[in-house]
Order: sequence, then structure tokens, then C-alpha cells
Amino acid sequence: MTSKFNRRSFMRGALGGAAVVVAVPTLDQFLDNNGKAYADGAKLPTRFGTYFWGLGLTPGRWVPNKVGADWDMTPELSSLKDLKKKVSVFSGFRVHLDGRPNIVHWTGQAAILSGVAASKNGSFDAGTFDVDMADQLGGGMRFRSIEMTPFGNPRLSYSTRTGVGFNTPEASPIALYTRLFGEGFQDPNDPNWKPDPSIMLRQSVLSAVTDQRKALMAQAGAADKVKLDQYFTSVREMEGALASQLEKPAKCESCVVPTAPAETAKSGMIETVNKNNVLMGKLTAMALACNQTKLFNVVHTSATSETYLPGDSMIYHSHTHDEAIDEKVGYQVITSKLAGLAFQGYADFVSALEEIKEGDGTLLDNSLVMGFSDTGYAKIHSTDNIPMFFAGGAGGRHKGDMHVVGNGDPVSRVSLTAQQLVGMPVGSFGIGAMKTSKSVSEVVA
Amino acid sequence: MVRKSGFSGVSASVLAAVAIGSVGLATGFATETVSAPVAKKANAGKPGTIVGTRRLTESQYRNTIADVFGPEIQITGRFEPERREHGLFAIGSTELSISSGGFEQYYAMGRAVADQAFAEKSREKVFGGAPANAEAPDDAKAAEFIQHYGKKLFRRPLTEAEVAARVALANRGATQAKSYDAGLKLALVSLLTAPEFLFRVETAEQDPRNRKQLRLDGYTKAQRLSYLIWDSAPDEELFRAAEKGELHTQAGVDKQVARLIASPRFEAGSRALFTDMLQLDRFETITKDAAIYPKFSAAVANSAKEQTLKTLMHLLLEQKADYRTIFTSPETFIDRSLASVYQVPFVAPSGWMKYKYPDDVDQAGIITQVTFLSLFAHAGRSSPTLRGVGVNEVFLCLETPSPPANVDFSIVNDTSNVRLKTTRARLLAHAEDETCAGCHNLTDPIGLSLEGFDGLGQRRLFENGELIDVSAEYDGMEWEGAKGLAQVLHDHPDVPSCIVRNVYAYGVGRSPDEQEDLNYLGAQETAFANNGYKFPDLVKSVASSPEFFKIVIPAAPEPVTTDANVASRKATIRLAGGL
Repeated sequence: MTSKFNRRSFMRGALGGAAVVVAVPTLDQFLDNNGKAYADGAKLPTRFGTYFWGLGLTPGRWVPNKVGADWDMTPELSSLKDLKKKVSVFSGFRVHLDGRPNIVHWTGQAAILSGVAASKNGSFDAGTFDVDMADQLGGGMRFRSIEMTPFGNPRLSYSTRTGVGFNTPEASPIALYTRLFGEGFQDPNDPNWKPDPSIMLRQSVLSAVTDQRKALMAQAGAADKVKLDQYFTSVREMEGALASQLEKPAKCESCVVPTAPAETAKSGMIETVNKNNVLMGKLTAMALACNQTKLFNVVHTSATSETYLPGDSMIYHSHTHDEAIDEKVGYQVITSKLAGLAFQGYADFVSALEEIKEGDGTLLDNSLVMGFSDTGYAKIHSTDNIPMFFAGGAGGRHKGDMHVVGNGDPVSRVSLTAQQLVGMPVGSFGIGAMKTSKSVSEVVA
Repeated sequence: MVRKSGFSGVSASVLAAVAIGSVGLATGFATETVSAPVAKKANAGKPGTIVGTRRLTESQYRNTIADVFGPEIQITGRFEPERREHGLFAIGSTELSISSGGFEQYYAMGRAVADQAFAEKSREKVFGGAPANAEAPDDAKAAEFIQHYGKKLFRRPLTEAEVAARVALANRGATQAKSYDAGLKLALVSLLTAPEFLFRVETAEQDPRNRKQLRLDGYTKAQRLSYLIWDSAPDEELFRAAEKGELHTQAGVDKQVARLIASPRFEAGSRALFTDMLQLDRFETITKDAAIYPKFSAAVANSAKEQTLKTLMHLLLEQKADYRTIFTSPETFIDRSLASVYQVPFVAPSGWMKYKYPDDVDQAGIITQVTFLSLFAHAGRSSPTLRGVGVNEVFLCLETPSPPANVDFSIVNDTSNVRLKTTRARLLAHAEDETCAGCHNLTDPIGLSLEGFDGLGQRRLFENGELIDVSAEYDGMEWEGAKGLAQVLHDHPDVPSCIVRNVYAYGVGRSPDEQEDLNYLGAQETAFANNGYKFPDLVKSVASSPEFFKIVIPAAPEPVTTDANVASRKATIRLAGGL
């Protein structure tokens, strides 16, 4: 971080303080005439994120009536109203179990992310597509991807290379800040940038570790090889990160180095989770704008969400099962309130990307954030009609403002579409009955 | 309910019907050995093959660093989350690798440890005096240093290539920084971030008594023993025994096991085992609603965890009491914050004081402590179901299956039904629904007898103005309240079976689910009973047995498939091994 006072430093503090958000426009000299690329010809990168919240949404309270373009707003989606034009809604997609059990609060996210219903609780039968995406598209950044959860539980992550070990999330805003903007961060706009010679020595340390790779792998059986391979992949990612720090970073005017957020409370109270979520959204948005990473994965709350309303002795998960349907209104009232608040996490997060100007649009225009949950109806653990959303322009490839009805098609169609929209060279996704090569063309611009 | 494998619930007739084979299972635990046949597949069962990798747990990492560099070394950083399989992190650790975010953390911790070890204050203590030329590389001295600390960290002597890579690194660093220490520090960081340190790599060698068979090598046996009993790396004496081949003889193993258990460090090992088994790590992830439980805090959570471990160590190691008294003993320890939760006077000047529950209070043993009662509860209320699940999983080794997906809760949750006004009534209504009854009948009665404690563990007699009914009926037994449950558990045959299974599974890092495992565990259970259910004797008996060194030969790597996102493949389990 620099210590100078300049236009950017004037902006600092927004994260830790009031909800005043001032977007800093990318200066014209950095951009070509079309505002789609930097002047040196480098395209503005497309970023991608997954955003999961637990327990779905309430039937009858979220699916728009209108199918196709210009969908109509519904009660539980109301937090997205200002961004509706940049959001696609997917309803009616489901998990094809392929003979596997419906593992409650697990099958849904497993199928969406790995392309196959899990056969066992606690692990997926395959790695998740975000990891493939990080491998293919995440290079050249300090971090191939960043995982986080505003709920504060360091085990809340569904991003996995092997299906067994899950990528560790940052579990508080300060931890996320430290990872992104602490040691190792280089301000891309620092005019006095010089390569840090100690980085080369740190690279040598890693070389000494990887020197033994071949010998170790030759001794290992299949399962150990998978684990060791993941370990060495992690080492390689760090080598890549160190290498990127030896290169002078490209200037990016949208980057405003934030100040550290204050220590925040850790609590299951939904308001606290959402406050942490807002902070994490702003930090992530700035990490994207500062070219620290192109990919992120957020788990707002677990699939058995333990969030609660202030003073309520019952947690959200218990309400979904225990609360009777109010005959007057036709739905579970407290559950719906909590569903709306959980979904607000997604809306707040993508809003943080929208608040940053980039090129002739916003950071969100150059991003795609796939929001999804584990169930279509938590009360009965349904894996039909799981709510799924795309927010952002994906660099002009995502049409937005569309409502697509899946009519029972597999959720993997939406996952495949997400991958293709951000430029993954994949023609199909999924395994067995979930395998599909049919993307959702209605949302492709 | 599904019984965890490796459990004595298998009937005696089944056990008797299975051939024991060449593994002795009676008293004395066999002098005969069993080894694995050398496999024909490439990499599977080859001499020198890796037969297992287990990621170091946080406590193993901390204990190992403290042993090697001194307890004053501070370790701050975020460890990779662990994963509980079949009730234990120790089993889950065999499935885990290190993510990129996790590696960054291990790297940062490695640097911090090296910085502290080379800090002026501790350098001399750890590494001896300064080198002759502090500003230049010295390959010979560096090699000595790397071999010495490498062996402690990798838990085996380093290969020439492993030393050479670090000597070259130390040389480069020393030259560039004009500092011998700076170079050595880099070499140390590379040791601390190497897979051979961060994973417990288990390797097998050809058995010289039968060249077609494999056995765990001596160093692997040494680390299995030291991590079970001390939760840390082997000490010099254990390395010596490994090097001399003494761990391939029953007498050699017996001698080392007796020494390790007699050491005060056995307490650290026992604490780690119970921390894992009792799921005490869950304090890191639970939250309590401050409006409902204002007394709950991180400090109370830490004290509660310590209370449980102190109680266990007092009963099991100091008093060498019958293991089953952990449920019935009125003796415990409290500090000031816990005294406030339990609403009893704290009369010590500070720290901890012994406390005995009064006879007329319905409280005894570790399941009536804040630890169990708050971990198995919701954020704002108690949960008889969660507590029942907790007792079944932790103390009886009974796994609870996931609830069925398509349950209609509407009957149970109809609060207009006057029969279902209370938690008890609502839960017992599950018994009337066949889909729910299978599991809820096995969990809820246990938890309902603990309803005299709220979701934090504070005693209560009334709930919403109603006197709480703590009677319970389960499996033909009837009891009243927490003390009644304590006695039921004390007398339950699955309680000793479960701890036997857990000690073995924790030590070998595998769920013992083969028939010959069951035979072995059955014999261990008999020995445990004959020894008066003494926990140290159980650990000694398990660690000294040939089965403790059994090998699970991994499947050979398969060709890379083109199908996207290949999951890790299960090893083909073929058991063998022994001394």
C-alpha cells in the first residue's frame, strides 16, 4: 500500500465506514476508444463467481410469472430490483439423481457444482467446475480463486478439486482483507513499483520442495497420488502467484486500495451475517478491480443454515421444517422472511461489483456471478426447481433480464452455460443423467 | 441407525465363526506376524511404497514444532479445516490434501517458525553457537543442520537428494543475503512446507523374513506409536529403536510402548484423542444467540473444553479409574466463568478448583457438562434429538443416517394440535410416523432425559412455566433424568466397545471394517474388560498389538480418464501387516 495522499487514498475508508459508495471511473487514457479494453490491447478480463445460500427460496414467492425477457419482480427477489436488467432467473431446473439418494441439503449443491448428485454425504463424486475454471482462466493473477463465507465457519466451502477436500474459505472480513491486501499485495498503480528481491528466494524455497515431487509420486498409490497431486498443484499456484509479483502490474484505475475493516462480530444472526457479507463483497469487488483474482466462491450460509432472527430461539433450518404454512397467506411466513434476507446476501454482493466503474460500464458488466441454493423447497428437501441466477454481463456475453424455465431439465445445463459464458472451452458438463451439452441459449447475447 | 464398523455389536457366534488365521488374538497379542503379499501391480505393494498419507492435524503440527524448536515458538495462522469421517478426524485426515489457500497459510507459518527459531534469543538454544563466518555459506555445516532437523520434521532420515536440494538453497540464500543464517532459514522453511512434514507419510518395506511380504518400515511404526500416545513426532530414543530394527520385534515394541505411556506426554496424546472423539473442535464453529444465552462467550467455550479434558485426565490417567465412570463421576473442575454458568459458588482464589456435584442434584459425568450440552444444541435452544445423536455417535459409535428427504412434517408441527404444545410432545409424535420413528426412537429419549439443561448447559426445572419431564424409555430400559442416563451409559455394553474401536481407528487412521478387524477388536474388548476398563491399559494393549501396524495396500494409480472432474478413487483395501 502506498502512504501518499492522492485521489485513490481519498477514497479509502469507504469499506470500514458508512455506506457511502463512490465509484471511481477508469481514466480514459487507460482504455481504447470503445471502452472494452485497455489501451495496450489487453481485454478487460471477465470475472466469475459462485454464490451459494442455504435452504432455497419459498415456492410461490420467487419464480416470476413472465417467461422470457423482462421478467416481473417477485417478493423474495425484491432486493435485486435495481439490478434486474442484469440478472437472469432460472426456474424449473432439477437434479437428476441417477439412482443416487437425495442426500438432504447436499445433493443440490453437489449436482450444480460437480455435475453429478453425490453418492455420499460430505463429499462430492467429482471436483467442482469452478476449480477447472480457475485452472484454465485464473492464471496470471495473484490468486487463481478466492473462497469466503460471511457466516464465519471456516469449513463452509463447496469448492473442491477432488470432491473430498474443500478449498478453505476466509471466514471474516478482516481475514479476507489480510489475504487480499496484506503481505504480498502490490498496488498496481504505485508509480514507485520495484520487484521485491526476496520473492526470488521464496521461489527457490518452493523449488526445493517440488524437486522431490517425482520421487514421491512414484512411490504413491492411487489415492495418495491424488492428494499429493493436489498439494503440488497448490505449490504451483503459489509459484505462479510469486512469479506474478515479479512483473510490474498493469495499471488499473478502478483499483482503490481499501483500508482494513474493523474486527467484526461472528454470529449466526442474519443481520450480522449480511453485514459481513457486504464488507466481503466490497473487498472482493476491489480485489477483482485490482487484478488480484478473476474468480471467487462465496458460501453465504450452509445448506442447513443456522442463521436466526434476533431473539428467536429457532434457527432458519428448523423454521423451514417446523413452521406451519399460514393458511391465510399460503406460505411459511417466518421462513419466507429469512429466505428473502438470505437472498439479499446475493443481491448485496453483486451490487458491490456494480458499484465499481470499469471501462464504459461497471465491474459487474465484466463479471458473471452464479447464485444458487441447495433445494427448491426446504420443507420437504426437494431438489426440483432449485433457484439459480446469473448476475452480470460476462463481458457482453450474458443477455440478462431473462427468465428461463427448465421444465425439469438438469441443473447442469445452467452450470454449463455459466462456464461457456466466461469463455471456458467446454462442450458438455456433468456425468451420467446429468451430462448435458445443451446450454441455455436464451441468456447468451 | 448404522453401527460404525469395527464394533463389538457383532454377535459372538459371528465372531466365533470367522477364522482367526495367523493373527494371534488372545492374551499377549501374538508373536506371530502377518505381512502383506508383494503385489504385482506397479506401485501397489512395491517395497518402499507409500501405503498412506495423513495430513498433520493442528495439534500434531503444534506439538511437533514445540518438541523440535521449543514451546516458546508462537504459531499463529489458519490451519486447513479437518474432516470427520466415521466419527474421527484421525480417519478423515487420510483423505485430505492441502488447498492453495491452505498452502499459503502453511508457508506463512513455516516462515514465522523459522524466523522465531533463528531469532537472537532462541538461536543458540535451538541451533548452538554462531558459525565461524556468519556472512558466508558453509555447505558442510548446512548439511549437518538439514539432516538433523530434517529427520525430526520428516520423521525419518532424509535422502541424499532431499539434503542436497536444501544445501543448494541455503548456499544461494546465504550468498545473496551475505548471511549464513538467512540461507539456513530458507532451508528450514522448505522443510516446514514439504509434503513429507505436512503429511505423515507411511511407507512399507520388504519383510526380510519373507521376501514376498511387506511390512511397515521402522520409522513409520515409530510415528504411529508416537502420534497415538504423544500426539507428536518420535523422540530420539524411538528413532534409535526404529533405526536398530527393534520395532520389528514384540519385545522392542513392548518396551517402547511402556516408555511412551509412562511419560507425562501421554496426557497430551490422550487429550488429543478425546478432543477428536468428543468433537471439541466444534466450539470453533458454533454460535449461541447472545440475547438468549448472555453468559456464553469464547472464554466460556474454552473453559468448558478444558473442564471436560481436565475431568477425563483426572479420572482416566491420574486415578486410573474405570473408563465408564466418565459418565457417573460427580467429580469435576470448574473455573470462575463455568461456576457462573452452573450457578455454583467459586471459592478458589483463581484458576481452577475441584468441584463435586451435590448428591441431590441431577448432574454427573461429562455429558452434563457445558461442552456436550452446548455442542449438541441449537443457537437458541436445547435439542433432545441432537443430544441423542451426540450420545449415539460419540459414546456408542452409532452413526445416524441422514433424514429421509421427503418427510412431511406438517402433522408434527401443527401447533394448533393441543397434544403437541411442548418439545417433548412434538418429538414423541415422531414415534407415530413410521418414517421418522426408526431414528427418532433411538435419539430423542436420550436427549429428553437431558432436558433439565438448556442449550448452553444451564440447569433448569421449568420450560415455559411447565415442569420439565425428564423420564425416558429406550430399548426396554426406563430411566429418569441425567443421572439415570449416566447409569444407562455406564452399563451399556456398546460403551467399552466404542472406545476400543476409537483408540484403534484413531491410531491406524482407518475405520476398522473388515471381518478380521472385528475379531481383533472383540479380543481387545475382552482384554479391556479383564483389566477393569483402564484406559492406559487399553492404549498399551492396542499399540503393542501386531494389528496396530497392519498395512492397507493402496490401489495402483489408474490411467487418467478423460471424463471431466475425476474424483479421487478409493483404494482397494487389502489388509495385512503386523510386526
